Amino acid sequence: MVKRALWVLAVALLAAGCGSGSGSSSGGSGGVQNGGTLRAGIPDDPDHLDTGISYAVEGWELLEATNNGLLTFKKASGPAGSEVVPDIATAMPAVTDGGLTYTFHVHPGVRFSPPVNRAVKPSDFQYAIERLFHVGSPGVGFYTIIQGANAYAAHRAAHISGIVANDKAMTIAFHLTHPDGAFLDIMAMPFAFAVPAGMPYKDISTDPQWRVATGPYMVKTYVPKQEIVLVRNPNFTQWSPNSPNGHLNGVNIQIGVTPEQAVNETIDGQLDWYMEAVPADRLSELRARYPSQVHMYPRNNDTYFSMNERLAPFNKLAVRQAVNYAIDRNALVKLFGGQGTPTETVIPPSFGSAYHEPNLYPHDVAKAKQLIQQAGAVGAPVQIWTTNADPAPKAAQYLASVLGSIGLKVTGVRTIDDSVYWDTLLSEKTDPQIAFNHFDQDYPEGEDFIDTLLNGEHIVNVGNNDVSNTDDPALNAMIDRTKRMPLGAARNAMWAKIDNQFMQRDAGWAPFMHLDEPKFVSASLHGLVFTGSYFELMPEMWLAK
Amino acid sequence: MVGLVIVLFAISVLVFVIFNVIPGGDPALRLAGRHPTQENIRQIRKDWGFDRPLYVQYGDMMERLFIKRDLISYQDQTPVLPTIERGIPRTLALAVGAAVIWLVTGVLIGVLSAIHQGRFLDRILTVLALAGVSIPIFWLGAVLLYLLTFRYHSWAVFSWVPPGGYVPFATSPVDWAEHLILPWIVLAVVSIGFYARVVRASMLEVMNADYVRTARAKGLSARRVLTRHTLRTCLIPVVTLFGLDFGAAVGGTVILIEPIFGIEGVGQYAQESVAHLDLPPLMALTLYGAFFVVIANTIVDVAYVWLDPRTRIE
Amino acid sequence: MTVEAVAVPGGRGGFGLAWRRLRRNPAAIISAAILIAILLICFPLAPLFVDLACHHGPNDQNIQGYIHQGGHRIPVVGLDGTPVGPGLRSCYMLGADANGRDLAVRILYGGRISLFVGITSALLCVFLALILGLVGGYRGGFVDSVIGRLLDLIWSFPVYLLAVALATTLAVGGLSVGPLHVSSSSLAIPIVVIAVVFVPYVARPIRGQVLALRRMEFVEAAVATGAGPVRIMLRELLPNIASITLVMLTLIVANNILVEAALSFLGVGVPVLTPSWGNIIEQGYSSIVTAPALTVAPGIAIMVTVVALNVLGDALRDALDPHARIRIR
Repeated sequence: MVKRALWVLAVALLAAGCGSGSGSSSGGSGGVQNGGTLRAGIPDDPDHLDTGISYAVEGWELLEATNNGLLTFKKASGPAGSEVVPDIATAMPAVTDGGLTYTFHVHPGVRFSPPVNRAVKPSDFQYAIERLFHVGSPGVGFYTIIQGANAYAAHRAAHISGIVANDKAMTIAFHLTHPDGAFLDIMAMPFAFAVPAGMPYKDISTDPQWRVATGPYMVKTYVPKQEIVLVRNPNFTQWSPNSPNGHLNGVNIQIGVTPEQAVNETIDGQLDWYMEAVPADRLSELRARYPSQVHMYPRNNDTYFSMNERLAPFNKLAVRQAVNYAIDRNALVKLFGGQGTPTETVIPPSFGSAYHEPNLYPHDVAKAKQLIQQAGAVGAPVQIWTTNADPAPKAAQYLASVLGSIGLKVTGVRTIDDSVYWDTLLSEKTDPQIAFNHFDQDYPEGEDFIDTLLNGEHIVNVGNNDVSNTDDPALNAMIDRTKRMPLGAARNAMWAKIDNQFMQRDAGWAPFMHLDEPKFVSASLHGLVFTGSYFELMPEMWLAK
Repeated sequence: MVGLVIVLFAISVLVFVIFNVIPGGDPALRLAGRHPTQENIRQIRKDWGFDRPLYVQYGDMMERLFIKRDLISYQDQTPVLPTIERGIPRTLALAVGAAVIWLVTGVLIGVLSAIHQGRFLDRILTVLALAGVSIPIFWLGAVLLYLLTFRYHSWAVFSWVPPGGYVPFATSPVDWAEHLILPWIVLAVVSIGFYARVVRASMLEVMNADYVRTARAKGLSARRVLTRHTLRTCLIPVVTLFGLDFGAAVGGTVILIEPIFGIEGVGQYAQESVAHLDLPPLMALTLYGAFFVVIANTIVDVAYVWLDPRTRIE
Repeated sequence: MTVEAVAVPGGRGGFGLAWRRLRRNPAAIISAAILIAILLICFPLAPLFVDLACHHGPNDQNIQGYIHQGGHRIPVVGLDGTPVGPGLRSCYMLGADANGRDLAVRILYGGRISLFVGITSALLCVFLALILGLVGGYRGGFVDSVIGRLLDLIWSFPVYLLAVALATTLAVGGLSVGPLHVSSSSLAIPIVVIAVVFVPYVARPIRGQVLALRRMEFVEAAVATGAGPVRIMLRELLPNIASITLVMLTLIVANNILVEAALSFLGVGVPVLTPSWGNIIEQGYSSIVTAPALTVAPGIAIMVTVVALNVLGDALRDALDPHARIRIR
């Protein structure tokens, strides 16, 4: 999911020995302090500041601080952050009709910020979801499960019939076309956040008339390529423990700060927090000099090489398994600066019991060679694709040497610019044989990974997420069954089982790592809570004076 | 004038064709995001006009670029023209500042070389000048930046060097200059060599010319001969070369140097647009760049004719 | 930088004189020696070095390997991805890159590719420029006009934008012209792109020289004896533009090596599995802070080669026409 601007300007300013940045960050006289303005940096504009359109981590991170939905992901680190809890809804919804109907009560005391000012009504949620279909939202696909959504999208209905909003009773009900436990997750995504009914059908990121907030902060100014300023929302009063009050007075985000610049400015005490990761070449040095200011957060990510099961030689299971045996996952983690954990799974560790390592493919080059020979694939030509975002090209070149050593003939490594790479992968016409790939969650549940990426029923020609073209009917059936289950341990156990079976019987991928996000913050910044959905939560942050 | 328009038209068509021929990088997919529904993609195609015939799309793009002036980039859907307008002063600051340095230094070295022709100083200056021209400009920028802002940054003489970025002159002239000095030097270093050689060759030719020898024979001092008679003629090729070089620098080399220093002028915008296969800004930038180069060439041609009457006999 | 020529029929004795002048120029001798040394090191000596000294080639990766130095076992690539730096040893003399490849070996083999691309693209460029310059300059009129416009068009295109656009297009699916198919990982693509982009630069002075020569008596005489245009171009004009062509050739080889480096830096140069000086820089640049040798060393190699070529070209110009009648402008 995440589109990231990884622009490495390889220069650093080492603080001249004197003063500044003396490692200790456990300062402050004990407890949480309110007040202060966070000085933040970001390399590029966030994709959008419009809840209906934003689909990248930077946008979601800001929108989490300013806007709210019926539900939210629990604002806690680790596996707890995958839990869905009520936000503007007074409680978790009543689920009836065998999982087809979800009924929410809307809290009466939530108000939009100026200039809209009025209280949030159930019809605002209906408007938000219907608006997705008018702005070409990238999240539209999540909500087609609501009855009448497809008809609405095709302009054959005035409203989505499956959404019943009752402003008098402050309730809203959703009728689904089929049961899906992950419906709770998609209602916690920013696409379903409340927007004032009547919001125009265009990107309102730079329109202060409509860019309103319900949360503790609001966007006061946004000048693309220059800055974003968040201030406190005067109309906010905390209505739920799941939507905290926030400690900071405001956030000043400067746009155009490169990763190296951010490191230098943080060391100099001019920057508190940066929205992107620490560049790999500075990490060891920063960990050594400022250990309490460097944090390694587990992202909900899987990094892997995907193989196209429709193209030789990867149409043979033996060849795909050979690739899994041949790669040394520890070597690949080294290429990523040690910022990750080696793995053989699709699902990341913070999904709790949905994550289980099968240990199927220990590093064994001899076995891989044997499998290739048995499959008759010796000398088969292979072209590897990769994005140019560092260090993916290095991983691809490593793969090239590995494939060469087990008997395949690598004709080249095609490096494509990151901004175009992902669309190219999604198109069947340009489908590569084997490609560098990664997937970051849309929402923290197994269905997001497994159903999106491995369910053969979703294979399309353009915009195809099942890049390996995995289409195993038994697997598809298992996935469909698991989707209908309610969230919980039983469902998670099924995801783990499907994940492991996929790797054993299909092996369409060679997963090698779950990526970590290394962050470097100033000595005065505390209260960092990292979730896979919103990364660091701004309402939890506080500054020591 | 007509020639200019034809050239620009041809270039715009060329760019348009090239970028529509490239498979992959389907802008509709890029705009649709990671979980596109087929309906989504179809809608985007319709909204952005990707389903219309190529010549219609071309016409539409030209209209948005020149008449409606609201061309939008595929990459982040921001308006193209304001970004270019923001970048132009930065690129000009870079190019003009560097040009001043390379002109002055180049002429100086060239004159010195000519005066001491054949002797040690001449040889050394020749090699130095040619060495400057032989360095890959992006490499020089990257290595100098690394050395001065990281490795040897603690040395007092380098501690002021900022690690890239740009500060507008209006905000702080001192910061503006500090941020530009290193890029100026890098851009100048690779251009000084040419001027030095040109000035040297020109001066030698003139110094050996009859009328100069006559002046010397008459007893005029070397200095007088130098300044009065030779320098002016030497500058003719310098002017023509400068015109071409400046055009080439603004049109070409800035694309390599700006990303290294994070200057965010039109050069960096161009480099990003090409990397992202982002046709709208690329079209706008290529046309501006070509326009600039053609104008520079025309000025040079006119200036040369004006300066050197000999060419008028043709 | 353009080279313009004033009409000087050099005559055939010119080259002998030029050679003698060249031999007496110390700068020329040194640079020629350097170039010969570089060619020797990159071509025959490189595999010898690999066989005798360190036993791994330019593409042999070694992320999990170790080297022995001073009694210690040092990992080639550390746990945080930092490769070992330069040191006095036969293996990894200049250090390793992030994939554990030997930088010194890569620079040797990379030199082969950079020189090959530089020289081949220069030959192609000059060849095309000769054709266009001769035909345009000799025929004049409409033909010259068309050729002139075409060259102007190419030259007005900001150089790197054109090169990157062409290279990206060609690299995406390769190129198929009739029976000829070039895969997207072929060296032919950067070679052709670089050659084409600089044709106007070389063709202009050649055309100028041809224009000037055309009016001279020996050409009129040839026309009067009934010689056809092709014969005149090949027999009368070509030898007289040989000196300017030779100078341009040296300078263009130097220029093209730099352009290859720039294109590789922009990601559209030599395909990544084949090391070239340019793409070694491009790959090493992201870790310039932890492993500066990866960026600095290939750049120095480029600089030394290109300086030698430029000095030689400059000396060649001096030798062929010491009275500066071929002006470098």
